[in-house]
Amino acid sequence: MLEVVRLSYVYSPKTPFAKQALRGVDLKIEDGDFFGIIGGTGAGKSTLVSHFNALTRVQKKSGTVVVDGVDLSGKRLDLKKLRASVGMVFQYPEHQLFDDTVEKDVAFGPKNLGLTKDEQAARAKQAIELVGLDYAEFAQRSPFELSGGQKRRVAIAGVIAMHPKILVLDEPTAGLDPKGKREIMKLILNIKQLCPTVIMISHNMDEIAEYCNKIAVMKNGAVAGVYTPRELFGSRETIGSCGVALPLVTELAAKLCAAGLPVDPATLTEDDLIKQLTEAARA
Amino acid sequence: MRDLTVGQYYPSNSVVHRADPRFKLLILCVYFVMVFFCDTFFSFAFVTVFVLVTVFIARVPLLKVLKGIRPVLIVLLFTTALMIVFYRDESAAPLAEWWIFKIYLSGIYASLKLAWRLLLLVLMPSLLTLTSTPTEICDGWESLLTPLKWIKVPVHELALIMSIALRLIPTLVDETDKIMNAQKARCAEFDSRNPFKKIKAMLPVLIPLFVSSFRRADELADAMDSRCYRGAKGRTRMKKLKCRAGDVIALLFWCAVFVCVLFLKYNWLNWAFIPLLGI
Amino acid sequence: MPFLQFSNVDYSYPTGDKDFIQALYSVDLTVERGEFVALVGTNGSGKSTLARLANGLYVPDRGFVTVDGQSTGEKGNLYDIRKKIGVVFQNPDNQTVTTVVEDDVAFGPENLGLAPAEIRERVDWALECVGMSEYAKSNPARLSGGQKQRVAIAGVLALKPELMILDEATGMLDPEGRAEVMKVVTRLNRDEGMAVIMITHFMEEAAQADRIVILKNGRVTADGRELFSQPHAFTDAGLELPLTVRLGVKLKAAGLDLGLPLDADAFVAAAVKALGGDE
Repeated sequence: MLEVVRLSYVYSPKTPFAKQALRGVDLKIEDGDFFGIIGGTGAGKSTLVSHFNALTRVQKKSGTVVVDGVDLSGKRLDLKKLRASVGMVFQYPEHQLFDDTVEKDVAFGPKNLGLTKDEQAARAKQAIELVGLDYAEFAQRSPFELSGGQKRRVAIAGVIAMHPKILVLDEPTAGLDPKGKREIMKLILNIKQLCPTVIMISHNMDEIAEYCNKIAVMKNGAVAGVYTPRELFGSRETIGSCGVALPLVTELAAKLCAAGLPVDPATLTEDDLIKQLTEAARA
Repeated sequence: MRDLTVGQYYPSNSVVHRADPRFKLLILCVYFVMVFFCDTFFSFAFVTVFVLVTVFIARVPLLKVLKGIRPVLIVLLFTTALMIVFYRDESAAPLAEWWIFKIYLSGIYASLKLAWRLLLLVLMPSLLTLTSTPTEICDGWESLLTPLKWIKVPVHELALIMSIALRLIPTLVDETDKIMNAQKARCAEFDSRNPFKKIKAMLPVLIPLFVSSFRRADELADAMDSRCYRGAKGRTRMKKLKCRAGDVIALLFWCAVFVCVLFLKYNWLNWAFIPLLGI
Repeated sequence: MPFLQFSNVDYSYPTGDKDFIQALYSVDLTVERGEFVALVGTNGSGKSTLARLANGLYVPDRGFVTVDGQSTGEKGNLYDIRKKIGVVFQNPDNQTVTTVVEDDVAFGPENLGLAPAEIRERVDWALECVGMSEYAKSNPARLSGGQKQRVAIAGVLALKPELMILDEATGMLDPEGRAEVMKVVTRLNRDEGMAVIMITHFMEEAAQADRIVILKNGRVTADGRELFSQPHAFTDAGLELPLTVRLGVKLKAAGLDLGLPLDADAFVAAAVKALGGDE
């Protein structure tokens, strides 16, 4: 479980460039959640999640973050243990690839954890297969000669190989074409079976509505509310007050409903909408 | 790093900020030469007063300007200390003596002057970067160095390279940050004390950084070509640097200060009060 | 004569020692003045190569590309061609050359050797067009992605091109930034009569164009107006259909024929007509 209590953060404090990025954030993420974090650029999403594995340290008298009982504002923090248990996939993670083979690059994390060579290799193999790449074909290839989508998979494998219990993803599908996007989301669902808690930052409301069970809306460095997809996208008032865009399907469903058709305005998936429309046709 | 370049500029609308960057650079040149002619405490104090007045007019906090000293602080302290203990004055008796070290009063004076001189040399460039954007400084240099084109120095290209470098440094710093964070998230450690290990530990950051820099350079070149870039030939500028009366007056003023310093040093007219102004 | 013409163009680029990857195979394509064309295809289908061939950054291995009758194969034509065709690239960070927005927009017209007053006029106009006038003095590094990309568009606009190519210019932006850019682009096409080639994999964006060209593995597999009436042309190329078209196809398979509406309003109208509603 991950708990954030009254967390604040200021960039370059005490200078003319000081900027408050977080203002008293409260958040509770349970084991097994597929937790979405949404909000406009500069709302503080990235700053918030970078606290989760102590890349950003909690500032003095600025609240706390507790991950599985460990207080991250504490002085003696076992960073290795924390970072192994909270895996973080950044935006455009393929930009972090550096080693000359896919296998070595994926094994970088396990190596840093001090595992034996055999364990490193085993973890690399497992992670490469988990992200849907053929081990025999890819293990010895250079990550730099792969396609964009493949590079991203390798980078995700590099994080999975640490066997995290919580996986944080910042815009995992940014810059991919629709097919690539769908494949990556499918992949994340696969990973979720091993790493049950997933936290995802995204601007893509279709993905958020389809995959997340809880959604935190951030605004000006604070959490404006935590909702289920139906609560968030189904209510005009919530949407309006949070300044959130609707998923395309929901927007269409709302328009259909407004035109007097028997459609639930909080419809979240295409299949659901098709079902409702065909039923209406039969009636 | 970030503070070194972009964050350095201290936005304000003072006279100093609005001045023609060419004249600021010229004044800086005059100032540099002048500081080397200063040799008495009085002349140092004399120049310092004008520097402080300029800082005041520029409406930049003095502390910001003093921050420019930070990179040279160690050199400054080190040379001053060496000067104190190794200065030899055959005409006077040492104040103190220990092993090969001898401390003379004149040595202390000389080292204080050295420190003061270094301080003055750092203050004005610091003020320049606080009151001018990188683009202005580049344009200023390009304009001042134009005569060098006659001897085939690619002045325009050098200025453009400077400008692009300044533009890209913050981007690259951000990128370095991001890559370091990504590798730290995979438990990489960068704080090894052994320099060889340190370099090896930095490879996971340096390699991706190089790869992305080359990609950026490629894309930037394409973007510049697409926007009809053909080098300096036939190129014009939107902002012609304009010198106003105030710029000329400021330059003349600093030249006058320079002349005063020269008088303090050489006392050409044999004014009786100048020797009284001390060592 | 068509404004932009690709005739039987092959292009391959080197990878490593002696290997080549063929990116385009006998591409024929024409674009007229004032058209709004969407060029779609999966990653690696050759879309970006096509953009770089259009303004002579790449030269065809076989066949030819002409702009207003001038071939990109002649080095001497490139300057004229690039005045007529502007390209906006994907990464907004790799297209700016200076640290001040208006100076960056001025880069293109400065390369054309225009008089300072005219450059000023064009810069102000271009920034106005993309709604970034109030950021003229800002540092591009401090803008949002959508704002940076609008500055990049202004930089191209200031050259007053007849055709603007956006090479996945919305690919790295958030939905807000994407909407900003699309609004600017459609307005330029409608009000200024500028021809646009929008390279994208967002089908909702492509649906706003007059004409769609589909690229698959380096070949043009479909090209026409109202292309969404042939959904298989997209699915065959590995592309996704816009939501409303996709729903239309699925509903038809489930026995409810709403046609293939291009946007939400058309979809609602068709549904109301088929199922009966308030209206």
